[in-house]
Amino acid sequence: MAKSDTLTRTDEQTELDVPWNVVVHDDPVNLMQYVTFVLMKIFGYTQKKAAVLMMQVHQQGRSIVWSGEREKAEFYVQQLQAHQLKTTLEKAK
Amino acid sequence: MKAMPTLEGGLRIDTENAADWEVLRAIVSDANSSGIDLASRLGGMISEEAGAQDWEDFVVPDLREAFQDELAEVGASIESAIFQAEEGPGPIWITREDVSAWYSALNQARLAIEDRYSFGAGDSISPEGLTPSRRSAFVRSRFYCAIQGMLLQHVMR
Repeated sequence: MAKSDTLTRTDEQTELDVPWNVVVHDDPVNLMQYVTFVLMKIFGYTQKKAAVLMMQVHQQGRSIVWSGEREKAEFYVQQLQAHQLKTTLEKAK
Repeated sequence: MKAMPTLEGGLRIDTENAADWEVLRAIVSDANSSGIDLASRLGGMISEEAGAQDWEDFVVPDLREAFQDELAEVGASIESAIFQAEEGPGPIWITREDVSAWYSALNQARLAIEDRYSFGAGDSISPEGLTPSRRSAFVRSRFYCAIQGMLLQHVMR
């Protein structure tokens, strides 16, 4: 090999992207029926599923209502906040 | 003041005097009464890890504008109804087309009252024990909540 030759080595690492959680928090203002309505409207959940998540919010103070790729999670948080639900985005553990 | 569902799937509110119109006008003033606006309060919940600064820069202004647009729409409807009624008794209609703005405005008003007075769920609060300004805010909040309940039940189905 000549002195001027360049040795190139490529390393590739692949790891799964960590999902992000969309979390709705309880508050004393939003009506339970409204929270259910919004979850059905934004995520297309059935009334039964939305009601279960709403009860989690009400009884446990918070509920992970959706998990997945970050960009979509951001979109959902924005939609939920536009409906005035206290919503955050957090990396899944 | 009386509120009832309409055959067209909306809600009609009949005011009985000028004081009732003032209660409706208070929706907008209550919604704007909090020290920190709702969009900022919601945006403030986003953590650094989740991109708080970007959220503040790009999402919060849009939310703020949307909330203000909804308040402006409701405020204009109320002022128009007051004008039509010549400040006397008269009706105001909430149709299916504008129910989202009304629900939002009522919710903004209740969230702002909650931010100022911390009534919580309010079920155990006795209005008699409150100062006049707190009592007034509490009663308005309960009134807004009652209208929201009717909107959910009869209009937003």
